[in-house]
Amino acid sequence: MRAFLACPVLLLCGCVSSGIVTHRLPDETPAADNAASIKKAEGLAATKKTVEMQEKSSTEPPPLTPADAPPMSTYDPWERFNRFNYRLNARFDEAVFFPVANGYRHLPSPIRTGVNDFFDNLAEIDSIINYTLQGRLGRGVRSLGRFVINSTLGLAGLFDVATHFHLEKAPTGFGTTLAKWGMHPGPYLVIPILGPSTLREAVGLLGDYGTSYGINVADLYRGDQGWGLGVLNAVDKRAGVDFRYYSTGSPFEYDTIRFLYVRKLLLQDAGLHKTQAPKPPSGAPAGE
Amino acid sequence: MKFLLFAALTLALARSAAGDADHGAPIVRPTVRGPATGLADSAALRATVFGTPPQDIAPMPDTVPVLEIDIPMPWRQKVPGIFWYDKKLRVWFSGQNKPAPLVIVIAGTGDDGNSSSVATLRGALYGDGYHVLTVPSPTFPRFIVAASRTGVAGDLKQDGQDLYDSIERIVAHLPRKVRISDIDIVGYSLGGANAGIVKSIDTREGRLHIHRAVMIEPPVSLFASMERLDKLFAQSIGSGDAGVERLYQRLFAQLANFYRASDRVEIDQSFLLAAAAAVLTTDQEFSAAIALSFRIDLMNLFLAGDIYAKTGAIADPNHPLEVGQPLEHIEEELRTKPFDDYFTEVFAPYYLKHRPHSTPASLIADNNLNIIGPALSSDLDYYVQTNSDDLILNQAELEWLKSTLGSRIAVYDHGGHLGNLGDRRQVADMLDMLAGRWQGGS
Repeated sequence: MRAFLACPVLLLCGCVSSGIVTHRLPDETPAADNAASIKKAEGLAATKKTVEMQEKSSTEPPPLTPADAPPMSTYDPWERFNRFNYRLNARFDEAVFFPVANGYRHLPSPIRTGVNDFFDNLAEIDSIINYTLQGRLGRGVRSLGRFVINSTLGLAGLFDVATHFHLEKAPTGFGTTLAKWGMHPGPYLVIPILGPSTLREAVGLLGDYGTSYGINVADLYRGDQGWGLGVLNAVDKRAGVDFRYYSTGSPFEYDTIRFLYVRKLLLQDAGLHKTQAPKPPSGAPAGE
Repeated sequence: MKFLLFAALTLALARSAAGDADHGAPIVRPTVRGPATGLADSAALRATVFGTPPQDIAPMPDTVPVLEIDIPMPWRQKVPGIFWYDKKLRVWFSGQNKPAPLVIVIAGTGDDGNSSSVATLRGALYGDGYHVLTVPSPTFPRFIVAASRTGVAGDLKQDGQDLYDSIERIVAHLPRKVRISDIDIVGYSLGGANAGIVKSIDTREGRLHIHRAVMIEPPVSLFASMERLDKLFAQSIGSGDAGVERLYQRLFAQLANFYRASDRVEIDQSFLLAAAAAVLTTDQEFSAAIALSFRIDLMNLFLAGDIYAKTGAIADPNHPLEVGQPLEHIEEELRTKPFDDYFTEVFAPYYLKHRPHSTPASLIADNNLNIIGPALSSDLDYYVQTNSDDLILNQAELEWLKSTLGSRIAVYDHGGHLGNLGDRRQVADMLDMLAGRWQGGS
């Protein structure tokens, strides 16, 4: 673990090779990907249809108008600090995080799926608590059902059996709970190693980790294996994301990521308020 | 740790949005009808935005190995601070386990050598038994910084020479066990024009022995097309930043309403695709999407060119932009700047200074595919694939391509610009052309 922490420091010293560097990426699977796209396209058509039907229902809050859209620029009072962290993360990712995750991706897919399902299953506990705090009890019960089924039939979460019973994965966390309680995302924040966030989401992250640490299921978080599991979880999550720092090549990448990240958060926030009691058409605009 | 997933997913979204928005190249204003068939522009615009439907994609292999190679170019200029991460050229290689011909694929405007269009071509070519080497467009920022001699991208001859030398160096440094029996070259959109120029340079210099070139939907007159794109932007979005802001506000509200109604928990890629299909419905919105994605590519090109040429149009040459400095004001300024400004403020001043006897008119004339017209018409190893409703060509340019290439051009009725890349017909014809067995259109 100490070596793990020392890496960013070494990187800052600029020990980056100047010769030819190669990475053997995992094989692409175009045939399977395309079959999946065809299937997805059918799903998308269905989604679009449901949405069009739902839009006709009158119990919804009034739709957002362009005037309700948040400004294009993002509140980023700590920009220099954030940009420093973004560069740090890029260097760390290129030298350590990505190569490790890339190696991990060469493991057989059943192993990786098992690891992924295991950690997702542990996260269900946090989801149950937060759905309850959000007052979305139906979803809380769904997470509880998933946790019970996957912890037993799914052999301690290694298999996601619940999805076969039409209980799809729908994780949530304390950041979303804070949003549901009406808290604004707050200033943009780039966290070392982890990446883009805002103040609210960072607090949410601490809340989620505190919850897991406090409950300490099967002594997984406080025991000696806690660090190892944490690293495995991080590598598993990184391996699941098809992103490379500066793959856009653009000097505006920081700005682009900031824009997309915060816009996505604001979209989700706007979505959270859809279950509120319908407001009169002349009422305050929906969303934050 | 859930946060990491959340953050990571967003990063993935950013990438997919950035990658899939790139449809490449210059576009003619939508009032020009598809030249040959008279198809409504709506169909061409729609195809250009959404690309080839997955069910029409050609058969693909089960697995394709991919090696990512970061390689420095010795002629690289001093790297400006804000481009610190772009020091080496990044390319991708997929090798067969046996001796095989190599196809080099050049990406279109603003695209990296690993864009979704490139990946489609790579799958098709690898599946047919080729080694495949994919390289970014010379207009892609990492190419400009790591492999351009000038830093001022968009000149067919200069970009072609930088590409040619880079490719030679990359091929020399491929893994030793790779055995290459022949070399062909393919490019789409602006990359199609680049591929033709690279082959013509090779005919003169003979260092690679490139056999056949397939140019997929290339532009003919680069700058004329770009200026039409400026008009498309002005028509669909409006000039200045206010137009972009209006577009953003409308899209945000529509996306938010779609998200609320869809009962989804995560905003992921499939959500965005469904949302895009629901939100982008009119010709004006299709045009705006195309114009804006091109403008975003142009912003990088503009800033890099300005810094290298020290023109002072954007950045003060005496006070270079520092790493870590906020760039929002520069981004806002660049969003309002059309290609025409790039030409008059950066491109022309730079090349007029470095090319004795050149004039703005001669620079425009030099950036036309007709500079290799004689080779295109007499060398039987050049092929072209294009669409009769391709937005980047007008009637005269399409006719010029047809008469120059003769029986070595395939013209499809529908596809807009790159809206049929990877479909069964396009891929089958491309493979026939590369193998020298293409019999001409039916």
